[in-house]
Amino acid sequence: MSINGSDRQINQALLRSVVKINTAMLALSFGLLGGVLLFAVTWMSLLRGLPNPGHYLNLLGVFLPGYNVSATGAWIGFFWGAVVSATLAALVYRIYARSIPDRVSELLERGISDDDDLGSVMIFDGKYLGLALGLVSALGLIVTTNSLVLRGTADESVHARLLVNYLPGYEVSVQGSLIGGLELFVFTYLATILFSWIYNTIVSLRSKSSG
Amino acid sequence: MTATRAHVSGRTDVDKAVIMAGFARMDVVALAVATGLILGLVIFTATAVLLLKGGDVVGPHLGLLAIYLPGYEVSWSGAISGAFYFFLIGSVLGFCIAVLWNLTHFIYVAMVVVRSAWWRMMAD
Repeated sequence: MSINGSDRQINQALLRSVVKINTAMLALSFGLLGGVLLFAVTWMSLLRGLPNPGHYLNLLGVFLPGYNVSATGAWIGFFWGAVVSATLAALVYRIYARSIPDRVSELLERGISDDDDLGSVMIFDGKYLGLALGLVSALGLIVTTNSLVLRGTADESVHARLLVNYLPGYEVSVQGSLIGGLELFVFTYLATILFSWIYNTIVSLRSKSSG
Repeated sequence: MTATRAHVSGRTDVDKAVIMAGFARMDVVALAVATGLILGLVIFTATAVLLLKGGDVVGPHLGLLAIYLPGYEVSWSGAISGAFYFFLIGSVLGFCIAVLWNLTHFIYVAMVVVRSAWWRMMAD
């Protein structure tokens, strides 16, 4: 892959290795976080000691086989939380990694010196991150909605239908999932652009203040 | 000779830039604040949308968040307290993500350095 049309080429083997390592590390980090989060939320619901703990949280069992709000269910939740989070993180990074050649071009335009620290601070590319998070969240909504349709419980899915409050036109049907997915993509994309801008601005301010 | 040296230097620069771009560390403070602000904004907007829509009973399901966030309710004051709670949750989440990313990369690079030093020592 040439950089900005110049004769300088990116070492594809090196790029692939970097993406592979980062994907594995991000999947590991998010897998751990996702697992711990679902485990903690399940126990919080259990420890409140209500007569019917996890009345709504139990609905996750529709998508995560074996999960329910119980001591054993918390461990099953840990497993599913880790698997789902790691998969989504890997998917997001695989798409986001397409921004690396652009970032390499920026670094080369700025100039690389021997003094440059290899562990420089990350700058987010809002467009690519928005695309990655938007696509994955839209895909998630489409897959979960259509799994309800395939189970034949679309008419009973009153809670999923509540999303129409935020995604006009959404309903538990194939067509509704596509409309909702498109809207969710747009909202996530815009939120991610804002998120990246905030992050990059703070990084820039901090690097200026530190000298 | 000079051309070859320039080519090698350019090659090294590109490789170094790939590693710099790929292995850049996350700014822990920036990620914590940005994640907190976005999540705060999300819950504020989610609450506000239901309030603006109105109805006899407003947001009975979103109100269940009070199980985890004491004091939260679907009202304008609840939207503020929800934004505050989600800012805190988002900040902790952003902090954890950045620390885990930086830590796993630090461990990986340390392992590579130790392994290469070991092989160099064995070769000597």
